[in-house]
Amino acid sequence: MLSNLLPRLPRRKLLLFLVPAAAAFIAGCSTGNPQDTFDTAGPVADDQAALFKFIFWIALVVFVIVEFGIIWITLKYRRRSDSDPMPVQTHGNTKLELTWTFIPTLIIIAIAIPTVISIWDLSDPPAGESVMTIEAVGHQWWFEFKYPEEEIVTANELRVPVGQNVVVKLSSQDVIHSFWVPKLFGKVDMIPIRENELWFRADEPGEFFGQCAEFCGIAHALMRFRVIAEPVEDYNAWVAGMRKPPVAVSGGAANGQTLFAANCSSCHSIDSYQAGAFDREEALQDGRWQGWLADIEDARIVSAPNLTHFGTRLTFAAGIRDLDRATLIDWIDDPSSIKPGTRMQEHAAVYQTSDGTANLRDSEIADIADYLLALVPGDADIAPTATPANGGGGGDPVAFGQATFAANCSACHNTTSATLVGPGLAGIADRAGSQVPGLSADDYIRQSINEPTAFVVDGFGPVMPGFPQFGDDEVDGLIAYLKTLN
Amino acid sequence: MTSTTMSIPRIFDRPKSTSGIWSWLGTVDHKRIGTLYGITAFLWFLVGGIEALMIRAQLARADSDLISPETFNQLFTMHGTTMVFLVVMPMSAAFFNWLIPLQIGARDVAFPRMNALSFWLFLFGGLLINVGWFTGDSPNGGWFGYAPNSGITFNSGSGMTFWAIGLSILGVASIAAGLNFIVTIFNMRAPGMTLFKMPVFTWMTLITSVLLVLAIPVIGVALIQIGTDRLYGTNFYNSINGGDPVLWQHMFWLFGHPEVYILILPAMGIVSEVLPTFSRKPLFGYPFIVFSGIGIAFLGWFVWAHHMFTVGLGPAATSAFAISTMAIAIPTGIKILNWMATMVRGSIKINTPMLFSISFIAMFTIGGLSGVMHAAAPSDAQQQDTYFVVAHFHYVLFGGALMAIFSGIYYWWPKMTGYMLNDKQGLVVWFLMLLGFNLQFAPMHWLGLDGMPRRIFTYSSEQGWEGLNALASTGGLILAIGILTFLFNVWYSKRNKVMAGNDPWDARTLEWSIPSPPPHYNFEQIPEVEYRDDFWYQKYPELLEHEDGHVPAPAGAQDDDEAAHDEHGGHGIHLPDMSYYPIMAAAGVAIGMGGLMAGYWVIVVGGILGMWGIIGWSLEPVNDPEPDVEH
Repeated sequence: MLSNLLPRLPRRKLLLFLVPAAAAFIAGCSTGNPQDTFDTAGPVADDQAALFKFIFWIALVVFVIVEFGIIWITLKYRRRSDSDPMPVQTHGNTKLELTWTFIPTLIIIAIAIPTVISIWDLSDPPAGESVMTIEAVGHQWWFEFKYPEEEIVTANELRVPVGQNVVVKLSSQDVIHSFWVPKLFGKVDMIPIRENELWFRADEPGEFFGQCAEFCGIAHALMRFRVIAEPVEDYNAWVAGMRKPPVAVSGGAANGQTLFAANCSSCHSIDSYQAGAFDREEALQDGRWQGWLADIEDARIVSAPNLTHFGTRLTFAAGIRDLDRATLIDWIDDPSSIKPGTRMQEHAAVYQTSDGTANLRDSEIADIADYLLALVPGDADIAPTATPANGGGGGDPVAFGQATFAANCSACHNTTSATLVGPGLAGIADRAGSQVPGLSADDYIRQSINEPTAFVVDGFGPVMPGFPQFGDDEVDGLIAYLKTLN
Repeated sequence: MTSTTMSIPRIFDRPKSTSGIWSWLGTVDHKRIGTLYGITAFLWFLVGGIEALMIRAQLARADSDLISPETFNQLFTMHGTTMVFLVVMPMSAAFFNWLIPLQIGARDVAFPRMNALSFWLFLFGGLLINVGWFTGDSPNGGWFGYAPNSGITFNSGSGMTFWAIGLSILGVASIAAGLNFIVTIFNMRAPGMTLFKMPVFTWMTLITSVLLVLAIPVIGVALIQIGTDRLYGTNFYNSINGGDPVLWQHMFWLFGHPEVYILILPAMGIVSEVLPTFSRKPLFGYPFIVFSGIGIAFLGWFVWAHHMFTVGLGPAATSAFAISTMAIAIPTGIKILNWMATMVRGSIKINTPMLFSISFIAMFTIGGLSGVMHAAAPSDAQQQDTYFVVAHFHYVLFGGALMAIFSGIYYWWPKMTGYMLNDKQGLVVWFLMLLGFNLQFAPMHWLGLDGMPRRIFTYSSEQGWEGLNALASTGGLILAIGILTFLFNVWYSKRNKVMAGNDPWDARTLEWSIPSPPPHYNFEQIPEVEYRDDFWYQKYPELLEHEDGHVPAPAGAQDDDEAAHDEHGGHGIHLPDMSYYPIMAAAGVAIGMGGLMAGYWVIVVGGILGMWGIIGWSLEPVNDPEPDVEH
């Protein structure tokens, strides 16, 4: 008989065994791994873990009573032989029933009270303390972070000062994602057409792993991010750096800059240090999104992580790789070998090759990688307006216009008839005069640049940003240049 | 009446075969339909198990590229869909079909042809969901199909459309089955069997059937909406055009949580039969077990948003759903304690069905306790969508529902087939399954608490989850060996038959009073019921002396009855005749719905076939008059 094989543990020894076993369970829970929900570093995760542990100890008592009760009953009352006497036929006992209805009810009340207190406590940051607001937007499959007060846009790495209460406004551009940093806070979903909110505080400096927690498609497993909590002075230095232009590049990196402008800049912004860039990036991301939606199969544009001062990042590809040159080169050459399903390879023109790898020479890929790694804040204090390198209006207006176009417009407008975010501009001179009655070609283009939303071409959204930094020279140059496009 | 219906011309003769494939296609016998449900569900169980093994193979190592992310997403979507809709629900349906008429002393269910329709719809719906394995385009949006990720914008393949269509058809099957069993249980009980003399399995079937009839329409509506979103560009859940993806979650879980009890209540019914039989004691606290079942089913409607604690419901709604969810622990706890009390001072026979039932209590308790942890919303914010949840519901659905189903298989197999399943091999099956199950799912608690999200096709070694995942995969392998051992057990027992007789377990309910396997008419004479567990007291009338308020039945009364009916021999009992129309109607529905994907001419074909089936059915009498009666 099977039951005879089971050891009979004396009860006292059982207790001696159980208590350390339970302690080991809790200790065993804290692994020190990067997403350990017990190794907490802030008040929100602290409270959530404390509530879990409180319920755990109660559950453990119930567990021991029921599980050992079942084993004990089974062994004690097992039929030893088929001639065992018929047991007494008890049908029930109302007092017992009432007792074991009442006691679980008390246990549930004991759990419900701290639960409800905790729900309300954690729903808002502590009253009266200063709060900093960040916006987090979920994209398939990366996280966009925006600091509206500092006008910073970045991706996949959220920098916060230690000890600062942070409110994160959560939204999504496409499907439902969930925003979660186990050591700092439990997850809250990022949902399209509705805004959610959570708050947290990092009480100690460190690099905290985050990961999307709602199934969001093919690369869901590879949609991760980091929260970097640093002392306030380091954080302030980072903020200041994000407002400065990058260091000048030369050599291979300069070649990389040209290649980046030609192949990558439609989707990746790198200039969000500029004044006004914060609002523009929002419009650009929306435009890229609309561009993708309009032609999901063949769009050549998708919303993509902002790469401003990319060289300061610790990781890339949505937190799945440490940032180093060799990995970055592999990534640029064949992104889906690192992150299957990535939209970049599916859509960017440079990857439309027979084997899907980048249509670039190895040296060119290395140059782009060098350029990206060189994207770190320079020494200049004030972000200059987007003045092209060849100076003001003194020279050839068409050349000046072309340079202005390359720096400011080419992310969204192609010079052929192909649509990117905005319409392709070939032949604009011929049709500009007939778009709006009463406006000449020159006036139409001028109005489109100065007041982009005054007239929007059919089939496009009102997403083009204003360019307040342009003077008359820039606008005149652009008009002269655009009229040369056929 | 009869003469008008007889005048309808028939293209096919009404099926009469009693053996061979045609006897199965036209059957309306609840026992045969139960067998069809059981075999089909078990085959799906093997498919779902293979899907699970492939998932575990991929996750056994960090950074593994054994299975592509797209295939992985298809695997976990189909594993969940299969195990919920094509395994646990129809396994329960197999027991409902086999046992309800036998337990209540009836000759069939109330609507035998509708019963056949339910089965064929279930079969064809399940096949439609699985079409993708042949087109390379299986459903990949999760068994929960969250919008807008399951919408056409983000999921342009045909998989999720087949998923919505197939599930809609399964829903029709479930509603029809639910209605059938409600009417059967209310109307067809043997004389004297009042509601509170019914076996608990019958009670749980009744409660489950009510849940089916109320809950399935909710998901039915949602599936039609998400289907038209995908097929015709409607905007119920398409957030790009202003549809509300959170509404889908409310609809899905408003169905989905009652669904959890649809899955577990029949299991609780099975356990409530097995434990008293092998303890040789009545079920302790019968009314409390019944009312806590009703309580669970009722409360089950007020807890759906605990699946959505991370959606941003606000603290007031979150508190309300946290409390209502915790409250379900009270009736559940009552059941567990009553089951334990049933065993106390019993004479416990340790054999395979009993060990599976005892394991049900042990494993289900673990799942219940982790359920209370999820109810605590702040704690759940860390656990939601992690492997802790995966561990939780596998303890409920595998450790709970499937352990009970295996208990039921070992318990009722002799009744259904006439021969015993070898018990020594059964013990090996039980041991391997319990061991493998715990090795596979217990580590997932730690993985979840260590921050491993669900539905990820890979993780990196720096995340630190490799050891426990390897352990879980090893457990999966042992579990699979356990299932193979079960197949061997069935094969061996069939080859070396040990006949069971009417009542091999010295059991308590009416099904054990008739031969194994039962004749097609079940009961020669409809029994008259005096007591709960009436059959038990027929065998042991002396036990009644100890009962309050019961007077022992006069000895010998039953013998007289039996003698009187033996002459009968089952002849002259009118049972519903076989019919092809249920399978024809079901095929028409499935072909027509599949035609939404395949082309409009297919819809026409399905429509004609379906209408033919329904009209033919409505004009066909339940019984053809017997020739000797007519002439």
